[in-house]
Amino acid sequence: MTQLRPDMFDEAAVRLDGVSLRYDSTEEILSGIDLVLKPGSFSFLTGASGAGKSSLLKLLYLAQPPSQGEVSLFGRPTSRLSRDELSAMRRRVGVVFQEFRLLNHLTAYENVALPLRVMGRKESQYRRDVEELLRWVGLGERLHKRPETLSGGEQQRVAIARAVVTQPNLLIADEPTGNVDPDMAARLMRLFYELNKRLGTTVVIATHDLGLIRQIDAPVYRLADGMLVQENGEVAPTARRRTDPLRAMP
Amino acid sequence: MKPRENSLLPLEDAREAALFFVVGALCFLAALAALSAKSTYGAARAWTAEVEGEYTVSLSGADATAADEAARLLAGLDGVITARAFSDAEINALLEPNFGKSGLPADLPVPRLIAVTGAADAEDLGARISIALHDAGHSAAVDAHAEWAGDVRHMLSISRIAALSIVALLSATAIAVIAFATHAALLARRDIVDVLHVAGAKDRFIAGLFERRFWLLGLRAGTVGALVALASVAILIALGRSGAERSGLLPQLSLDFPDLAVLVVTPVIAGLAARIAAGITVMRSLRSVM
Repeated sequence: MTQLRPDMFDEAAVRLDGVSLRYDSTEEILSGIDLVLKPGSFSFLTGASGAGKSSLLKLLYLAQPPSQGEVSLFGRPTSRLSRDELSAMRRRVGVVFQEFRLLNHLTAYENVALPLRVMGRKESQYRRDVEELLRWVGLGERLHKRPETLSGGEQQRVAIARAVVTQPNLLIADEPTGNVDPDMAARLMRLFYELNKRLGTTVVIATHDLGLIRQIDAPVYRLADGMLVQENGEVAPTARRRTDPLRAMP
Repeated sequence: MKPRENSLLPLEDAREAALFFVVGALCFLAALAALSAKSTYGAARAWTAEVEGEYTVSLSGADATAADEAARLLAGLDGVITARAFSDAEINALLEPNFGKSGLPADLPVPRLIAVTGAADAEDLGARISIALHDAGHSAAVDAHAEWAGDVRHMLSISRIAALSIVALLSATAIAVIAFATHAALLARRDIVDVLHVAGAKDRFIAGLFERRFWLLGLRAGTVGALVALASVAILIALGRSGAERSGLLPQLSLDFPDLAVLVVTPVIAGLAARIAAGITVMRSLRSVM
């Protein structure tokens, strides 16, 4: 478990302090979790199916309040925020859902532009950026296709483009490379890595994919029995020593 | 060419088509009830104004000459505007529905009738007419129309209240249906709401999407309902005119400016009700999530 130090608190992008979660009267899914992620950090979250990874991510992207404890983002305890402040906070967080959650009545372009429309941006301001981003993830020819006509991998790339289009301060991805081939997985990881290094985006990726974890020298947190532990043993020492992970990517 | 940007909510589905029909039907009934209420009110006012100050005097055992004399006597009374004795032809026309064209036997005594119109502010005119005729040696009965018109007025008032109650009930039903449908639409589109919510959309923004959708739905359904009501009223007017001689005391439907105003206001009220119901429902639902 990460040791909490007072000097970490003010600068933490994410801070969980004694966080527990249970739905209604069910058994506790998360129990007394403490976690501090610095701004600009890159972290992996892993654990067996049903360990509570998605529940923990829900707390991070403010879709669910904890049963106990406090979730703070960018130095602000979220329990004290008004609803409008929570909405503003969510705009600083990009989320890639495991099941994509694309809106089927919108085109790929419109799905990616959705967070910008929510922010009140005009299409003339974002059109070029959205098209460029979709081209970058290999969907330049599929801009105006609806999700149901795209393959699983293409839908996943649209979901990722939607999560990063606002250049969020915190990017949360739940199994973001589960439906794409290894080349595209590496390409998407490169996107996450670039966001992290160039824009200082704090990245949290939940994954089962040990190969993915080995590509980037980053702390790995494992969820087991509702507890979160930082794990070093599963990360290959050679991967940890890598200075430029992008060199190994396509 | 780049396709036009879609709404963040999907196009209408079958549920909304059903809701459109229900709201349209409710608006049709509400508009028809409102028009009926207004016509009843108008008919009651017109009819009671017509009979206010009207008296019918029956002279027993009098001939036409005596009736004319009595009429002249009454015309000179203070508060009387006109007094006119009915001719034999007019009396026979009144009796014709019951006794046929052949009329009554000539030797059967039939009272002579005098129609008196009094000023609206004339006090105790009925009693003064009786006294004047009695003093002149006539045996007369005076019928003040306003006395029995009160019963009819009372009945028309009850009809008006009933029609307004129906309008209120239909409006309340429409609002409840819309609120229920909005809630169902919200549940059906929970995925969209969740995505917008996570993307940082404020509650007001999400509610605004549903408000716009249901405002347009209410407005369009209300317009269809009002147009069907307009068509129905036009047909009823046409049918009423073809049988005008038998319409009796029934309120006559009309299509004057206030009626058209009712028809114009109906879709606006439906749209506003839909919009408000949608807004409240969505805001309440969103309050239940973080």
